[in-house]
Amino acid sequence: MKKYKVLIIEDDKFLLKLYSENLYRKGFEVISASTGNEGLNMIFTEKPDLIILNLILPTKDGFEVLDSIKSNSETKTIPVIVMTNLEQDEDVNKVKEMGAEEYLIKTKFSMHKLADVVIRWLYKS
Amino acid sequence: MSKNLKKKKNKRPIEAISVASHQLKTPLSVIKGYLEVLISEDVGELNSKQKDYLNDILKNTQKMEEFLTHLLEVSKIERGELELNARKVDLKEIVRQEVEDFKILAKAKNCQLNLNIENEDKIPKIKIAPLKIIEVIDNLISNAIEYNQDKGEVLITIKRKEDKLVFCCQDSGMGISEEDQDKIFKKFYRSEKALSRLPVGSGLGLFISKAIIEKSGGEIWFDSEEGKGSTFCFSLPIE
Repeated sequence: MKKYKVLIIEDDKFLLKLYSENLYRKGFEVISASTGNEGLNMIFTEKPDLIILNLILPTKDGFEVLDSIKSNSETKTIPVIVMTNLEQDEDVNKVKEMGAEEYLIKTKFSMHKLADVVIRWLYKS
Repeated sequence: MSKNLKKKKNKRPIEAISVASHQLKTPLSVIKGYLEVLISEDVGELNSKQKDYLNDILKNTQKMEEFLTHLLEVSKIERGELELNARKVDLKEIVRQEVEDFKILAKAKNCQLNLNIENEDKIPKIKIAPLKIIEVIDNLISNAIEYNQDKGEVLITIKRKEDKLVFCCQDSGMGISEEDQDKIFKKFYRSEKALSRLPVGSGLGLFISKAIIEKSGGEIWFDSEEGKGSTFCFSLPIE
C-alpha cells in the first residue's frame, strides 16, 4: 500500500518532533524542513503529497512559501495545511485567499486530530 | 512575486507584548501537544492517577493559553489597534453553532442551555467580524454556565429590535452584587464572590467583549440581581 509523504515546514524542533512522530506512528512517511527556503527546495526534490506549514519561519516566512507553492503550476495542487499561532482574521483571510486548504491554530488544535486532517485532505486531492 | 503577496508586505509595528505572547504560545503548544499524546495512550498505557494528573496539567495549559490570548487583545485595544474584518454573515447560524458547541460543558455543569430565536425571517445577515463576535458570544455563554446555580438554566435569545439585532444571555446563576456592578466591565476585575467560585480567570473577557461590541457599532449591557441571576445583552446595527 502506498505510503503518503508529508512535508512539515516548522522551525521549532519540539513541535517538529511532536508532529513528525505522531504522523509516523499513523503510517505516514515524514520529511521536514526548518526554514522556508529549505522547505521550498524539498518540495521540488521530494514531491510530497501534503505540506504542513508554519507561518513564522526564519529566512523566508510561511506566507512567501505558501505564495510560491500556490503560484507554481507544478506544486499548486499539493494540499497545504497551515499550522500557526497567529489568530488574527486578516491572517486567516490572507492565507485562505492564497489558496491554503486549511488554517489551524496550534494552541487550539488537538494532536489526535492531526492525522484525521491530513487523511481528509489527501483523500480530497 | 504574486499580487497577493505584494498586498501583505505592509509592515506592522512589533510590540513587545505581541512578541512575548507569540513566543510563549509556541512552548505552550508543545506542552499541550505532548500531553494530548500521552493522555491518548498512543505511546504507552497509563494508570488512572497518571491520566488524572496529566489532564489537570492540560487544563492549566489551556488556561495559560486563554490568558495569553486575552493579554494580547487587551494590549491591542489599549493601543487603539483592535482590527475588525467585517463581512456579511448570518448571526443566527453563528449562535446556533456556538450553543451546540457549549452543550457538552453545560451538561457537565448540570445546566440546561437553550436557544430561542424570535421571528427568524425578520433577521437579516449583518456586517460583522465573525471571529470577534464569536469571542463575545463564547465569553457570555461560558460565564453564564460557570457561575450557574446547580440545575439552572441558560437561555440565549436573538431578536430584531427595529434597526438592531439583540443577543441576550440569561442565566439563573449567582448574580452580581450592587457594589460590583459598576466595575464588571473593568480590566482584570473579578468580584470576590466570582473569585471564590472560580479562582482562575483572566478578568479580561468582559473588558474585551465591550471593546469588540462598541467597535462594531453596538452596545453591551446587563441586568442582574444577586442570588437570582444575570442577563447580559449586546446589540449590533443592521445596516
